[in-house]
Amino acid sequence: MVRVQQAPFDLNALYHSLSAERTDIGAVASFVGRVRDFNEQPDVEALTLEHYPGMTEAVLTRIVEQAEQRWSLANVIVVHRVGRLTPGDDIVVVLVASAHRHAAFEACEFIMDLLKTQAPFWKKEHTRQGDYWVSERHSDKEARQRWEQG
Amino acid sequence: MTLTHLNARGEAHMVDVADKQESRREAVATGKISMQPETLALLSDGGLPKGDVLATARIAGIQAAKRTHELIPLCHQLMLSKVSIEFELDHTHSCVHVSARCRLNGRTGVEMEALTAVSVACLTLYDMCKAVDKGMIIGDIGVESKTGGKSGDWVRDDLNKVSSKALPESSLEKSAESQKTVTVLFFAELRERIGVEKLSVSLGDLGAPDIVSLKRWLTTRHTDFMALENPRILCARNQDMVSVDTMLKPGDEVAFFPPVTGG
Repeated sequence: MVRVQQAPFDLNALYHSLSAERTDIGAVASFVGRVRDFNEQPDVEALTLEHYPGMTEAVLTRIVEQAEQRWSLANVIVVHRVGRLTPGDDIVVVLVASAHRHAAFEACEFIMDLLKTQAPFWKKEHTRQGDYWVSERHSDKEARQRWEQG
Repeated sequence: MTLTHLNARGEAHMVDVADKQESRREAVATGKISMQPETLALLSDGGLPKGDVLATARIAGIQAAKRTHELIPLCHQLMLSKVSIEFELDHTHSCVHVSARCRLNGRTGVEMEALTAVSVACLTLYDMCKAVDKGMIIGDIGVESKTGGKSGDWVRDDLNKVSSKALPESSLEKSAESQKTVTVLFFAELRERIGVEKLSVSLGDLGAPDIVSLKRWLTTRHTDFMALENPRILCARNQDMVSVDTMLKPGDEVAFFPPVTGG
């Protein structure tokens, strides 16, 4: 399941919907991305997440499908928030369920690495010194390229 | 529509703003100064005789915004909370784009302050560079947007940026050709830079029905679209990331955006 929403998500509820009544699932890996109070500049007071409605969901769905082709997965949930968020808020959650842990760990990281470089989200950070659009990171590009070689 | 600076007898008067609600107001104005490529090169290398041109022009623009009421007869004196001036050196068109943003919590708009800031910043650029180039031209000064106040938010209409031919809705006689349009979207920093979110462009206006030609056509319409020439800018056709040589069909949705930064 892929979802883009403004509202906060309930990790526990998502975990239940992922694995309830599924006795074939032996492992669940999860990743939660949060808003930091420092990034390119200190004193980040808030950030605004913009996205491309329609394309975002399509890209996330495609990333999940690619993960499902690469590993044997039982279920995947990706929820990404948009709008104004403040430090400590959750931004994104990826939950991956599989029979064994290696597939769950790897697929979870794979989904995040592709999301970071392909899903059309943009962050604008609001600091005491002013607002700025966050730049892409070279390390994110390298993290994605790792999967292309493997 | 009436002119609020004229009273019932058509005489100029200052508008009484005492009863107006205070609100957060912001205005952005832009302008440009065109010069010889050699002058622009000297400017960007810091090689001009009067020293740091941009820093001086920035201070001049900020000072000017604060003194707008001394220059414009019926303008109120405002307690500006912020004035920022930005310069963009455009080597392709051999000019400097100047943009001023003014903000306050108050009872009157700040577009006059933003316009004054841009004008004086441009004049200062002229003064700082005139030793090497007397033929510089200041132009295209205008308000890009204003927010807050009774008259509400205003953004320069896309129609002013792109000829009405690009927007078939605006023509009474829709030819079959003009209906063959594509929708163009801009996101994030690029949208803010260009000041346009969405456009409808007739494929018939383009040299060829592909994304390269669309970009070229947009950049000839308004210099703001030069931002599309930045190699970092990505594009999508029908919500799929594509390269610029991709062909376009009527009804396609094309999006331009900076590198993504989610997660």
